[in-house]
Amino acid sequence: MSQTPGGSSQREPQASLGLLDATMVGIGAMIGAGIFVLTGLAADIAGPAAILVFALNGGVTAFTALSYAELASAIPKNGGGYAFVREAFPAPIAFVMGWTRWFTYMAAGALYALGFASNFVEFVHLYVPALPAGPVVAGGPSWTIVYALGMVALLVALNAVSTDAASGAETLVTLVKIAILLVFVGFGLFAARIAGFQPFFPEATTGGIGLAGPVVDAVGGTGGALAVLPAMGLTFIAFQGYDLIATVTEEVENPRRNIPRAIILSLVATVVIYLLVIFVAIGTLGADRLAVAGETAIAEAAEGFMPAIPLLGTGAALVGFGAVFSTVSALNAVIIGSSRIAFAMGRERQLPARLGRIHHRFGTPFTAVLASAAVMFVAVVVVPIQVVGNLASLFSLLGFVVVNLSVIKLRRDRPAMTRPFEIPYYPVPPILGIALNLLLGLFIGGRTWLLACGWLVLGVGVYLLVSRIGADDRSDPEDEYA
Amino acid sequence: MNYEPVVSEMNDDLRVVIVGSGRVGLQTARLLDERGHDVVIVERNPDRVERALDSYVATVIEGDATRPSVLEQVGLDRTDVFAAMTDTMGTNLSASMIVERLAPAVHTVVRVPHDDVGEYEPYADEFVCPERAGAAAATNAILGQGVRTVEGLPGELQLFEIEVTPQAPVAGKPLSAVSLPHGSVVLSGAAGHRVADSETELEAGHAYLVAVEPAVADEVTQLFRG
Repeated sequence: MSQTPGGSSQREPQASLGLLDATMVGIGAMIGAGIFVLTGLAADIAGPAAILVFALNGGVTAFTALSYAELASAIPKNGGGYAFVREAFPAPIAFVMGWTRWFTYMAAGALYALGFASNFVEFVHLYVPALPAGPVVAGGPSWTIVYALGMVALLVALNAVSTDAASGAETLVTLVKIAILLVFVGFGLFAARIAGFQPFFPEATTGGIGLAGPVVDAVGGTGGALAVLPAMGLTFIAFQGYDLIATVTEEVENPRRNIPRAIILSLVATVVIYLLVIFVAIGTLGADRLAVAGETAIAEAAEGFMPAIPLLGTGAALVGFGAVFSTVSALNAVIIGSSRIAFAMGRERQLPARLGRIHHRFGTPFTAVLASAAVMFVAVVVVPIQVVGNLASLFSLLGFVVVNLSVIKLRRDRPAMTRPFEIPYYPVPPILGIALNLLLGLFIGGRTWLLACGWLVLGVGVYLLVSRIGADDRSDPEDEYA
Repeated sequence: MNYEPVVSEMNDDLRVVIVGSGRVGLQTARLLDERGHDVVIVERNPDRVERALDSYVATVIEGDATRPSVLEQVGLDRTDVFAAMTDTMGTNLSASMIVERLAPAVHTVVRVPHDDVGEYEPYADEFVCPERAGAAAATNAILGQGVRTVEGLPGELQLFEIEVTPQAPVAGKPLSAVSLPHGSVVLSGAAGHRVADSETELEAGHAYLVAVEPAVADEVTQLFRG
């Protein structure tokens, strides 16, 4: 009698992703909104050195990517970073990891939703100037927030009732995103001027916009070469996403070889594309005007030099479309990512068990999706975009510290565990990963740390509550599980 | 099945350690992985380690499972079930006894080469004989759909799925009119939806679940198949 009840086996994903597809999952999650939304913000802080910001962030992330590659090759579980830490550390540390990863994805989702809304307004205004923008009522919330919430609600609804939204044409979507950026770069390389990069670092100013971390506040300013560090902290989130490869492992062909490769390849490809795009953006529009354009910086730059393309419209329209398209797909990716973490924690009884259940009709982690959406809604409405970006980056940095620690701990505790992919020059990369991630974390603003602590305190409460209720729950047979 | 410590937590994903990734061990790991459980394999043969890694269903610890230093690396504190599945009885027994000592709460399952568990009973929670299960499956295939062994029960008792043939002695009669041998009982009615009672009619062409003691298996088969 081999049938599984409820037909759950029918939904078991098939091994269908080759190396290219798996790489595209990573690239698709990274090149979403980060490049469109954060380039302007990075230029605001670091000036033309924004390009250095993205290059260094790519380097820092590479160390952690190696750790992910080693762990994913040895531990075939779908939970990503949370599953690895659960393997290496006692329950409370794994909980903190899952709790912060969950928030990272949700904060990233809020960031992408707001980025979507700005670019959506910009794009639609090219065709329909009547689309309402600005405040809904005088002094009230802006239409941007309405659009952001609308898109979150739409994608959440899709993901809550169907698992198809999760898989589908991810590779195609990613190729479209890359193609639009490469068209932008192709035209822009002829128009870019090196003069746009001088002076490379911004003039020293006294900080005080709440973005600089405690270290910078102590030094007394955000200017000069030091400005690169807070900008790195802010934009770190743009390299968030290769770890999603580790959450779809069951669908990858020849996983023990392809997953580590896909993680590293997707990071390299993303860094190259980012650098080209930022080079063009700064070389054509200049850092100051990028900074003013904020979330729509790349579309603004495209307007300057791209000719009208038959059938596709002006350059600004094309890139505007790319920005809308990319933010939506990245938002979709993080909604899936965040709900999978909540689901995994529910399965492990580290969050209420209800989060770890599949809906009896839709076959989706229904409650986990809704819970993630609720937090995202609050983040969109209440928290300003730069703080959201900072929060996402901070938790991302801290999470990566723990992942690197897991590699070291497992190497010590379980030398006999087979590792199809081994980090070269161990233990140098994970140690550097820990040190650099912590360093960047110090340059993230004090207000962000405060919010982060608030989320952690809330987490401690939830943890204590769940472990108390969970103990009673175990003796309670739950029959309607599907 | 007398499997209580585990069954009461069926909603949880179990963490299962499997010793040996030969045909039985690896297949077990695959089935468990398909059902969403976490699997750790302990294997000392480098070729089989490679094969286990290729299947990507479990974390693989390379080493000898009869050594405590190896077993300490599987994460026994979080393990729910420990299954020793090599084809060597001695390895299975010593590994599970080390686990009993290191982590008494872990449910242990030991593969045995034959049905006769007898003297080993106190040394593990559960015993399994893949050869016997395989033989039952082979018998099913050889005899066709008429009589199938449905499930290996822990004791001697066997569960048959038997289709009544038109020429069978019991065909078309209600259970109240049929006298089955002692040591056998019809469990389910024709559609398989309800437990059989005295009114249940044994229709030709329909299959019934019948629990049978080995001594009367032959007789029951003749009554249902003619």
